[in-house]
Amino acid sequence: MSTLFSRYALAIVWRHYLVWRSMLASSLASNVVNPTLFLFAFGFGLGAFIDTMSGVDYLAFIVPGMIAYAAMFSASFETTIGSYSRYAMQRTWDAMLASPVSLFELLWGEVLWSALKALFAAVCVLIVGWLWGGVISLSGSLLMIPVVFIASLGFASYGLFATSCARGYEFFSYFFTFWITPMFVFSGVFFEIDRFPAAVQWLAWLLPMTHLVALIRPWMTELPISPPMVVVHLGYLIGLGVLAFWLAYRNIKKRMFD
Amino acid sequence: MINEPASLDNTSDNIQTGARQTAEPIVSAKALRKRFGDFTAVDGISFEVPRGQCIGLLGPNGAGKTTTMRMLMGLSTVSDGELQVLGCDARKLSRAELARIGLVPQDDNLDPDLSVRMNLEVYGRYFGVDRATVRARVPELLEFMQLSDRADARVMQLSGGMRRRLIIARALVANPELVVLDEPTTGLDPQARVLIWKQLIALRKRGVTLLLTTHYMDEAQRLCDRIIVIDHGRILDSGTPDELIERHVKGHVFEVQKPFVDGFDESAWDCEDIGDSVLVYAEDAKAFVDTVPTDTQYLHRHANLEDVFLRLTGRALREV
Repeated sequence: MSTLFSRYALAIVWRHYLVWRSMLASSLASNVVNPTLFLFAFGFGLGAFIDTMSGVDYLAFIVPGMIAYAAMFSASFETTIGSYSRYAMQRTWDAMLASPVSLFELLWGEVLWSALKALFAAVCVLIVGWLWGGVISLSGSLLMIPVVFIASLGFASYGLFATSCARGYEFFSYFFTFWITPMFVFSGVFFEIDRFPAAVQWLAWLLPMTHLVALIRPWMTELPISPPMVVVHLGYLIGLGVLAFWLAYRNIKKRMFD
Repeated sequence: MINEPASLDNTSDNIQTGARQTAEPIVSAKALRKRFGDFTAVDGISFEVPRGQCIGLLGPNGAGKTTTMRMLMGLSTVSDGELQVLGCDARKLSRAELARIGLVPQDDNLDPDLSVRMNLEVYGRYFGVDRATVRARVPELLEFMQLSDRADARVMQLSGGMRRRLIIARALVANPELVVLDEPTTGLDPQARVLIWKQLIALRKRGVTLLLTTHYMDEAQRLCDRIIVIDHGRILDSGTPDELIERHVKGHVFEVQKPFVDGFDESAWDCEDIGDSVLVYAEDAKAFVDTVPTDTQYLHRHANLEDVFLRLTGRALREV
């Protein structure tokens, strides 16, 4: 535990925070404008044809999905394009590792920061959705925040694993095509996944974002969810995240120190 | 200081010498090897870096200099042999040891997303130095490397020389005992090089141990107490600059143009054929001048490290 919050890992987070702060305006703009556009298009466009989904007002139905997607995208982007740039192009990782910062702390710092950034994106969507009148349960929304953070640690780790395999930026087109887009489409952002054929449903449940949506949507829309399922979803998010982080650490260690 | 033996012989009239001889070296390599697959980059080298000295690793591109430095910093695993840094195995350097070493890498890896000042502040945090201490130290470092007026510039706006100075300042952020410099002045203009040399000499005077790689002979000659010439991962020779010159190229070099005039006998001298001419290495310049036929065409100069280097490592081009 002490490594997870060591000042060395936090120094990496602080570095990212400083850079982010200097670009706060653009970060804020994209995090607020993106979901606003989405909610406008889907809430008004599709919402005109769909009144309710699973018995919930359609706008309220898609807000949790949009929150999960925003967090997933933000965390994934940071540990792929962002981390890969620092690792292979700017070589700032080399500089960090020539200090007492260990590789574990460096990678954990990257993941921790990405999850914080993802949380920021998620909260932006929450606020936009709430102002739009698409948030039913505020207490459920508060419960959502730590879970989105935990899931985002995972999303960042999957991205980091992709980075650990990448030999150039082109590699990430696979990551976006076969990881990000499927989650956008199959994880239940816009409709319940039980509308898919059984085989597709199985695939959808392999995607971690499906579990995040399945967790936070009931909380935010006051739909029922059984406690054992909460444990299952959380367990999957944490387990897969830890596995991805460990694999990423192993790969990068081999690549950087051999 | 930490490594100096407690029981110094106080009756001895040269305590300093005694201390230097018995103090543990800052870096000690024994039969150090690094293999990348079938390729052996460092092939069993042994050397020591005594505290407070400046040691130069000299060699052509691909000689194994950078690999040696990376192993020393724990940035590359040691394949074989022994490597002690600050009294600790380089395979398992702890934070405490790493915090006492500053690295000036060959490639520019400054943080392009941060200003000059913030590059230093953030790097200090990586070393675990608290913020107030770093903040107090940054202006001194900028002053030392003559970057004070660029403190708020973005890294991208700096010239090559300024960037290199900033990298050196960055390596000094935690007051290291050992500074490892990988080709610190490669690609810089003479003004920038002179400033860096001056500040490196100032550092050494403060007792900081320096280990540098270079393929500039003038740099090695100016900065280094001892030089280790390496090529193809092996040590060819080591010694003070003067010792190396003495051992390999005598004191004077005469470049004698071909074709030779009648009466010039190259076999009488220690010489090296370099194509259109022959280099004659002679201890006694007068002896050479007096002996050769009077109409011999030659250039005379003092032998320098470049001659040593080329003699030891050969004149063939390196494609690495």
